[in-house]
Amino acid sequence: MKTKIQHEAMLGVLIALEVALFSFTGRNFLSIDNFSECVRLSAEIGLLALALTPVLITGGIDLSVGSMMGFCAVVFGAMWHDAHFPIGIALLLTLVMGLLGGALNAVMIAHLDVSPLLVTLGTYSLFRGLADGITGGARSYSGLPAGFLYLGQGYLGGVVPTQTLILVPAIAAFWLLLHHSIVGRGLYAIGHSAEGARYAAVPVVRRLALVYLLSGLCSAIAGIVYVARLGQAKSDAGTGYELIAITTVVLGGTSITGGAGTIPGTLMGLAAIVLLQSGLRLSAWPAELAGISAGALLILTIVLQRLVRPQTIQPYAANAKPRPRMTVAARLVTVACIAVVLIALIGNWVHRSRLVQTGAETNAAGKRRVTIGVMPKSKGDPYFISCRTGAEKAAASLNVDMIWDGPTSLDASKQNEVIEGWITRRVDAISAAVENAASISTVLRKARAQGIKVVAWDADAQPDARDYFINQATNQAIGYTLLDEAARVVHEKGEFAIITGALTAANQNLWISFIKERLTKYPNMKLVSIRPSDDDRDKAFSEAQTISKVHPGVSVMIVISAPAVPGAAEAVKQYGRKDLVVIGLSLPNLCKPYVHDGEIEAVVLWNTENLGYLAVSAPAALVRGTFPVGKPAFDGGILGTLKIEGSEIILGAPMIFRKDNIDAFDF
Amino acid sequence: MKLQLVRAWPALIALATLYICLAFAAPAFYAPDNLRDIALANVADLLVATGMTMVIVVGQIDISVGALFAVCGLICGTLAKLEEPRLLLPLAAAAAGTVLGAMNGALVSFVRVPSIVVTLATMVTWREALRWITNGAWIEGLPRTFQWFGLGQRSGEALIIVSALVLFAALWWASRNLSAVRAIYATGSDAEAARLAGIPTKLIVFWVFAVMGTLTGIAAMLNAVRFSDVPANSGINLELKAIAAVVVGGTPITGGRGDLVGTLIGVILMGSIGPALVYLGVSPHWEKAAQGAIILSAVLLDAIRRWRDRRVIFARSL
Repeated sequence: MKTKIQHEAMLGVLIALEVALFSFTGRNFLSIDNFSECVRLSAEIGLLALALTPVLITGGIDLSVGSMMGFCAVVFGAMWHDAHFPIGIALLLTLVMGLLGGALNAVMIAHLDVSPLLVTLGTYSLFRGLADGITGGARSYSGLPAGFLYLGQGYLGGVVPTQTLILVPAIAAFWLLLHHSIVGRGLYAIGHSAEGARYAAVPVVRRLALVYLLSGLCSAIAGIVYVARLGQAKSDAGTGYELIAITTVVLGGTSITGGAGTIPGTLMGLAAIVLLQSGLRLSAWPAELAGISAGALLILTIVLQRLVRPQTIQPYAANAKPRPRMTVAARLVTVACIAVVLIALIGNWVHRSRLVQTGAETNAAGKRRVTIGVMPKSKGDPYFISCRTGAEKAAASLNVDMIWDGPTSLDASKQNEVIEGWITRRVDAISAAVENAASISTVLRKARAQGIKVVAWDADAQPDARDYFINQATNQAIGYTLLDEAARVVHEKGEFAIITGALTAANQNLWISFIKERLTKYPNMKLVSIRPSDDDRDKAFSEAQTISKVHPGVSVMIVISAPAVPGAAEAVKQYGRKDLVVIGLSLPNLCKPYVHDGEIEAVVLWNTENLGYLAVSAPAALVRGTFPVGKPAFDGGILGTLKIEGSEIILGAPMIFRKDNIDAFDF
Repeated sequence: MKLQLVRAWPALIALATLYICLAFAAPAFYAPDNLRDIALANVADLLVATGMTMVIVVGQIDISVGALFAVCGLICGTLAKLEEPRLLLPLAAAAAGTVLGAMNGALVSFVRVPSIVVTLATMVTWREALRWITNGAWIEGLPRTFQWFGLGQRSGEALIIVSALVLFAALWWASRNLSAVRAIYATGSDAEAARLAGIPTKLIVFWVFAVMGTLTGIAAMLNAVRFSDVPANSGINLELKAIAAVVVGGTPITGGRGDLVGTLIGVILMGSIGPALVYLGVSPHWEKAAQGAIILSAVLLDAIRRWRDRRVIFARSL
């Protein structure tokens, strides 16, 4: 008992420290809005973490929960959209599907006695693979009915997120199961020693099967909540969620080797992680810190546990020698917690009143600092890094506070979370490169309703969800230009192949569809293969090698992922094939040597720095009221005069970089 | 020893089936060029899976190898960019990997944090730190002596494959003959018994993680020199590929047993599936599902085999 209190007290201190820190550094951290956003964001991870707690208590693990979410999302979408089931039946069948997936794990782990790590590693690939296979990676189901979306986007009484309706009963159910039932005690016994539990007449196989079934069911529910929150069902739902969920559970004090752990602990772990993420966002600190500090926290809590706790726990020692309910240390810690929270609240209040004053001062001076949140699709992508250079230039010259934040890899749900954070933070404008129009538009509309100016760049949101769209080049122009270039090189006849990013990438799939559309103009050209590179240079290299061997007739490869182009070009170079060239969509700097060597015939792209510049200067003009609303041209500063068509600002046609002009560009 | 090799039979059968199918459906797969390319693409996987076999045999797991791989690759690139002498590269990569691996090892063996937690945390920490520091920028414009160690493509390729195979063979020999390495098996099958037999189990676990790091560093270096620049995020999902290869190769995840030849078979199988599916004309959308199915069937076959054993031996029925 003692160790449990200590761990939870430690988490309490941690949470109190986070609250104290972020209430100073983050804007609007201590607000009802932020609180309900945190609850909303913790629903899916929370469901997974709840289900994983008993799994870990029995000494098992389930890595397949995130993939299961993706699989269930797709199954639900397919049943509703393709099979025309009513939404209720589709929901029910999806839950059954979750149970079946859980049953697959359960049979292999409980009945066949295979290691849970292995089985769920296999089903981790299998479920995600099935989801990719069913949708061809590309299809997503949107246009779900409003009643269903309310489940993920609505507020009860205008304040409490709807997800609470699911999360709270789930918490209650797992709490009862683990802490107030014979079944639950059996799970702890299994975790301590499965053999011992069996001798104590615990039906080990059935109990183990139960926890994996529950885990499948919860993943299915989490998948559905995810679909309702994003408004679309796609096979990449829940990617990477298994790791966050496991981190949450372990941080919450559940032993990874089994036998110990509590639901309140898991909830505190959840709170610690969600508050950390939201606090970093509201403080406009780099999101990378979230991962690093979560990793450090995880290690630190366990090290502390080890230092505090004696090496071997005697599970029944507490019964043998009754202890006071709370030790002196625990009491001190509790008092310290309360004190820290109080200090934080008071400090925050003082801090805020000061903020309001300084805000008023600058207003009086006539020039208000404008804060603009600018979001790339993925922070690690060289393409967006070069956009950032332009955006920073604009921010410096226009005297704007820019927050540059976004997902670390392509992730539509993360984009929503970042924007929710910005709304809570009350930025003046949001400028977003949209990964998925269907899923981001709801939250952008919410931002507009609160008076925040919204500009989409790189890829568009739904037209009513943003004020303007910066159109760097239409998807059609890109697709057509790529194929035109390819056709020019091969004199309009022969075979060609495409290497794309991830098979699920929305932009790339659009470009491919336009390449196919354009193909009608070149009847003698044939598309023989489309291969994924997962935006990984090494994989693109291998794929290019394989394509050139399996389809020796291919004389041009169209590569449409920035890191994949140099990979494919390297493959052509190492083959020494002069009759095979690459046409790529990438950054000139990554491709320069290959363009000069002749492996890459042409690189198609727009000026990314100018795009980044415009992504800051356009929303800044909107906020300051200097934007020429309703006029056909916009003075883009260093970019010259830009055309406005309807609600789209046109950057220009895509540029083509070849041997003769590529050295003039540095991005 | 024989018994341990037998554990790889499901993988061997799958591999044989795949290659026989290919011989009929797509004989072009056997072109020397193609086989060489597949070998080169899997050099890194082989070395990492070799280290992973030892980690799993000792009863632990390491999911941070992909992140370590990326860090070591970048260190290589940075040094090459500074025009450091060529010989320093392999040493630096190995040293960096060893240090990073040793950090995992210290936390696992001396602080007694479960390895899955330690390596989960270091995986996330290194990846995010890399992203933060490099901002995703690649290391470009490396000197000509970087690619293929400046030896030219053909000899560079040969050197990479040969050095990986030599390293693998040496470790395989050691895993059968050196008492220090046999101690890994003893520790993995029963740590307490091993300790009582005078084996310094904590040190063994520590060193297994350190060597895992060394091998990852060397793998990163051998992979990096195949190209002319170093990307900021390499080795994505490397840990899963390596664990899958080890497990498919018949090493039980419970530790104490396992053979490097099985791992070699596992690496060849997992590394051949991707290209083979292209040769067989299977849609790329089903690749992941196929890989999952292969892992699961290897696991299932192993379960069935154990179930039979158990009926024979009449051991514990749990």
